[in-house]
Amino acid sequence: MIRTENLTKVYNGKAAVDGLDLEVGEGEIFGFLGPNGAGKSTTILMLTGMIEPTGGRCFVDGIEVANDPLSVKKIIGYLPEDVGFYGNMTGEQNLDYFARFYGMDAKARKERIAELLELVHLDGVAQKAGEYSRGMKQRLGLAQALINDPKVLFLDEPTANLDPEGVREYRELVEHLAGEGKTVFVSSHILSEVRVVCRTVGLLAKGKLAAQGTLEEVARALAPADGDAVRIVVETREHLPAIEDPAVIDIERNGNRAVVRAKADIRDRLSAALFEQGLHVREMRLEEPEIEDVFMAAYRR
Amino acid sequence: MALDRLFNVARKEFSDHITSRRFIIILGLFLVISAIGMHSGIENYNTMLESYSLQLQHMQDLEGPYAGWMPEKPSIMLVFSSMMSYMTMLGGILAIAIGFDLVSKEKETRSLKSLLSHPVYRDEIINGKALGGVGALGFAMALALAIALAMLLLFSIVPTLDEFAAVLVFGAVSLGFLLAYFAIALMMSTVAKESGNALIYTLVIFFAVSSLLPMFGAMAANAFAGDPPEPPQMPRMPQEIVRTASSGGYSTTSVSQSVVYGGNEDPEWKAYEEEMKTYIEKRRLISDISSLLSPQSNYQTIAIAVTQPQIFSMMQSPYDTAPEEKPGLAGALGKVWMNIAALIVFPSAFFAATYVKFMRMDIR
Repeated sequence: MIRTENLTKVYNGKAAVDGLDLEVGEGEIFGFLGPNGAGKSTTILMLTGMIEPTGGRCFVDGIEVANDPLSVKKIIGYLPEDVGFYGNMTGEQNLDYFARFYGMDAKARKERIAELLELVHLDGVAQKAGEYSRGMKQRLGLAQALINDPKVLFLDEPTANLDPEGVREYRELVEHLAGEGKTVFVSSHILSEVRVVCRTVGLLAKGKLAAQGTLEEVARALAPADGDAVRIVVETREHLPAIEDPAVIDIERNGNRAVVRAKADIRDRLSAALFEQGLHVREMRLEEPEIEDVFMAAYRR
Repeated sequence: MALDRLFNVARKEFSDHITSRRFIIILGLFLVISAIGMHSGIENYNTMLESYSLQLQHMQDLEGPYAGWMPEKPSIMLVFSSMMSYMTMLGGILAIAIGFDLVSKEKETRSLKSLLSHPVYRDEIINGKALGGVGALGFAMALALAIALAMLLLFSIVPTLDEFAAVLVFGAVSLGFLLAYFAIALMMSTVAKESGNALIYTLVIFFAVSSLLPMFGAMAANAFAGDPPEPPQMPRMPQEIVRTASSGGYSTTSVSQSVVYGGNEDPEWKAYEEEMKTYIEKRRLISDISSLLSPQSNYQTIAIAVTQPQIFSMMQSPYDTAPEEKPGLAGALGKVWMNIAALIVFPSAFFAATYVKFMRMDIR
């Protein structure tokens, strides 16, 4: 549904997005991760037809965005970071103004706006958008992004201004939209948020795509290279005896607990050997780096 | 560019303008002051009309150089000339007030990004904004003219068809003047990141083109034209030829001096007059060129030509005898075609610059 080919954007001689190749399938909830300034928002601006790439191409539903931005805008919804509205108009009036660009007649607009305001819990709010709290603006932003019932939804830092209840509702909404077959592209620098709602992720660092796939795949791809070694955590009820296996590289001991660094996953052999010695194994697992740590390390690189 | 999207933007902008407190206050002030000015203008007109009737009665008894001179009936355009002075100040402020934050406010509130995420081209947005602003200023102008005409009718003054045409032309020219400052404000709003800066930049240009430019023009005219020619020694008292003309509320008397020597004009004086004429024309040329860059000067020139063609004609040719016949509206406009062109080119240039800047604007 979304595809970029060598997508590049240069500002003042510096590449904000540098040769990005990305693919997001239909109906996916894709998390676009990266630290601030990595080029996430610039990528979204190019994907939504709001700025033109310096090089490369991007496609949404097979339409090349730079060639036909208006057709793309008709099938997408976009919630910008720090979304803004016309302060002198109510939420309903703001939505009505935007809805007119889609050629919707008065009845269709009225029905759609009522439906969306109810969805984001802003129905019955008579105050002007200029008097809205940041959370209310964010919710109105979601409504304006959905005004045309889009096929693809781009959300830039969608939970930035939401309270916990708002975040919960946002998650339910995204799940609901994905259930309808919509593709959701969520840009965020908050890993914990992305891992809750997204099925696949891409990590952008310094304008380049560092990794793409499921969270586990990306974490594995980004994990620091340690040869082919695996780390096995072992804990027994009794004092841990010496472990002799040709695959073992080294062992860090701590009483009845140890972290075994081995050339391969030798948990089957290890558990059998301990069992033969009459030991009771309390824990035996592969130690994998925390995803947060992996991403943090990737952010810092 | 699709018209429905353009009109959607223009409709919203127009509605924003005419419902904004800022617009309503300035327009209200403008209308009240205009109405007061119009009222005193109407009183002047009525006084002039009475004076005209009296002059007509006295003309039959008059002899000497004034014999045969017919006073001119005052025109109701006199009433509108009083509006001109309010237009240049309050009208300019109104135009600036509606334009200075049209784009910068959208940048500040980030609504521009939301707007651009929907299927609308940038040119439709900027053209829609301009159209909405033009509509609001047109509405203000139409309201001012409607009140003026209503006041005339209230005082039982019914304009002739020619006068009505002149009123419409005056309205169009006034709108052109307002557009000049609206275009500057819109341009600055697009260039500046913040509305405060946009307002400051606009006011700087406003004062530069309305005050500094004509002043520099006069200084340049003095510098380039040099000193005026010295008059020759007068052998005898010159004979004064008095020419008087009246138009609207003003009577202008031009006095030219001619020295008659032996039945012929003194050749030295004649040469002096020719030199003086050349000198004044040279000065005026330099001054006029700099004035063309000032919407204020252009507006005043055109407005005087429309509202007081007789006075304008005499101002243009102080050395010529007063025209016997009152110049028509088309004739008056023909004399100020360069000012009309300048009044069209000035906002067009700023609109064009705004368009280019907006199309290339970084919206990160």
